[in-house]
Amino acid sequence: MMCNEWETQLNEYVDGTLAAEARALVEAHLAGCAGCRAAVVELRALVAGAADLPKRIEPARDLWTGIAARVGKREVRNGKRWWRTALAAAATLVIGFAVYRLLPPFAAHYRPVGEGWLAVEAQYEQASDELTRALATERDRLAPATVALLERNLAAIDAALRESRDALARDPENVELRGLVASAAREKVELLRWATRVAT
Amino acid sequence: MTRHLGWLGFVLAVAARSALGQAPADHNRFEARWPFDSDGSVRIVDPAGRIRVIGWDVDSLAVSGRGPGRLAAAGTVSVRKLVVTGRAELEVHVPRGARVWVKSASADIDVVGVDGTLDLNSVAGAIHVVGTPADVTAETMDGPVELAGGSGRARVKTVSGAILLRGASVDLGASTLSGTIVVRAAGWQRGGTGVQRGKFESVTGDVRFDGELGRGGIVELESQSGAIALRVPAATVADFDLVTIAGSITNRLTAATAERGVLRFSTGAEGAGAQVTARSFKGNISLDAK
Repeated sequence: MMCNEWETQLNEYVDGTLAAEARALVEAHLAGCAGCRAAVVELRALVAGAADLPKRIEPARDLWTGIAARVGKREVRNGKRWWRTALAAAATLVIGFAVYRLLPPFAAHYRPVGEGWLAVEAQYEQASDELTRALATERDRLAPATVALLERNLAAIDAALRESRDALARDPENVELRGLVASAAREKVELLRWATRVAT
Repeated sequence: MTRHLGWLGFVLAVAARSALGQAPADHNRFEARWPFDSDGSVRIVDPAGRIRVIGWDVDSLAVSGRGPGRLAAAGTVSVRKLVVTGRAELEVHVPRGARVWVKSASADIDVVGVDGTLDLNSVAGAIHVVGTPADVTAETMDGPVELAGGSGRARVKTVSGAILLRGASVDLGASTLSGTIVVRAAGWQRGGTGVQRGKFESVTGDVRFDGELGRGGIVELESQSGAIALRVPAATVADFDLVTIAGSITNRLTAATAERGVLRFSTGAEGAGAQVTARSFKGNISLDAK
């Protein structure tokens, strides 16, 4: 029987979405756990079974004719997907670290990071750019509506970031402003991370 | 008579053609049932359509549904995975204490009466949870999220979808980029504990907290440009710490007034009640009595 505490990791392992380190941990556990090995075999069979199912179920021809005329054929790419996922995961880790340093703790009162602020912001910018580039390569995997939503919200958050950064430039010691900039930065990272995850 | 028969034939022909044309959409029907642990884990993947998960007092897992998509299932008495390829409407009955994980692209997700852990993820679908799950994580990019009933811990995240949290929850967290957040928290005055820990963040959307604060609870509200509205019982004992950079602060709970975008005061002895923090860049902050 599968160990309950390993359930999520085993599913992610079979789905191929684990980072290398986590994958190694799972493999080490599998080496000594027959129940989880059996579960992995079963999960792989399930995934293979699902993959063998028809990718598309054709609707009635008279219905499809009308839709096909309006919708362009969408290219489906599967090759080299793993490295894009790995790139996204790596970028997420870098950004996560940067934002971790940016963020105040949950408690209402916190101390500013002082002179480290600019360095951390630069680090965040670099990591954000990397994730944005990674996302750009996967952009055509997203539905047009999702791309539109993403762009609209990225524009909104960039505008919010600009406003609060401008205000911070005028009042650089304002702890509350730093907190707000940090929150907006985190929201942007979360949005990019989410979009990358959806795309890959 | 011949004329009537002609019309009848025409109507039947149209009905038959219509029925045949619709048939493929509902062609696949699923129905299966497996014995299942009362705290077992079920993982559901259904890209499009609708997923309804219902908790029941039976130690088995049952799935029924229909759609043009296909359903594959595998697992044991403690873990089961249901994967739909394509589009389907699924109804899944799980033991009340089950752990439920759902992933969809555009499918709406409804969960009713599950007391275990919920992890619900959609890109564009709506998420509705009714009941008292121990732990909820709900993420959707574009759809709305509504949790009703209360939970031990809830984390909700959307990009543009509206978030509505109703009921007696202890630990709540919600964040959205452009959606709104509305919290209607029932608390100790109605038998619960009140919100012990709450963090609600938005970039451009409004944030509204309407309800009871837990004794000693910590509630944080934050928005860049959305309005923040707080409504609490007049007898609430709490330390309030409200700051806006470019917005305004309106206090109708007490006589205290804001100065230069800052309002800090306590109702009762400082540190004796809840702690409420609100931060905005240019959104207005208002504080009212219920």
